[in-house]
Amino acid sequence: MESTIQTFANVVIVQVKGRVDHSTAPEFGSVLLPQVEGCAKEDKKLLVDLSKINYMSSAGLRVLMIAAKGCRKQEGHVVVAGMQPNVREVFKIGRFDMVMDSYPTVRDALAAISPAAAAIYFER
Amino acid sequence: MPHSTSCERTEALTIDAVAHCTEFASAQAWQAGFAAARVDEVELVVEEVVANICHYSYGDRLGNVELVCRVADGPRLELEFADAGQPFDMLAMPEPDLSVDIDQRGLGGVGVPMMRALVDQANYRRDGERNLLRLVFHSNCRLAGPSQVA
Repeated sequence: MESTIQTFANVVIVQVKGRVDHSTAPEFGSVLLPQVEGCAKEDKKLLVDLSKINYMSSAGLRVLMIAAKGCRKQEGHVVVAGMQPNVREVFKIGRFDMVMDSYPTVRDALAAISPAAAAIYFER
Repeated sequence: MPHSTSCERTEALTIDAVAHCTEFASAQAWQAGFAAARVDEVELVVEEVVANICHYSYGDRLGNVELVCRVADGPRLELEFADAGQPFDMLAMPEPDLSVDIDQRGLGGVGVPMMRALVDQANYRRDGERNLLRLVFHSNCRLAGPSQVA
């Protein structure tokens, strides 16, 4: 599983590519979950870019839930962006709309959660 | 004339069993002529079922899961999972309340709603010492269309 981590102002964007299933969810977790540390209020926000994910099973949702609970404990904020239609449907079945906010694109997410990060991202 | 083809695979429930069963069912779904999006849906369900058999039916014990796939007219894909673990009816598992606040939710609980959303027909029976779960998939996609990602 390919992944990239980028920081724009107070937002860390984690992007993973490919398939998140029972086999690859641990790897997804090993990329995403360390980023939960320090995710508190306005200090640091976490954005998971799912635009390159073409399949996500409940094993992937479980990782997102661990991240969401970890952020909640620290009064932090994690959002997702760019879900493909099939991934969005899985997200809906799991009622993850109750767990974290989602946005059509990374740009939309940044504009909503951090104007400072959005400004840097848009200027690239 | 109605016809069906059938094939079978037995997997020891090791860490790779979920992936092996998913790949096997996926190949049968392709053979049935299912669209890519519907194949994904079959895979999602098989992953849930095998993971649940590992966890609930066998618990800490090692065991085997037998997966029989039948492709029938329609097209229709029938999957039958058999295991020799303790009695376990995934269809009777209570559906968790996923609308509660995140603090009240567990880490999982998505498997049963996922299966109900994606399968056209399901039944379970205990046959002697074995659990038998039969799932039927028609070719129509239940969820949104295919992924945009190659």
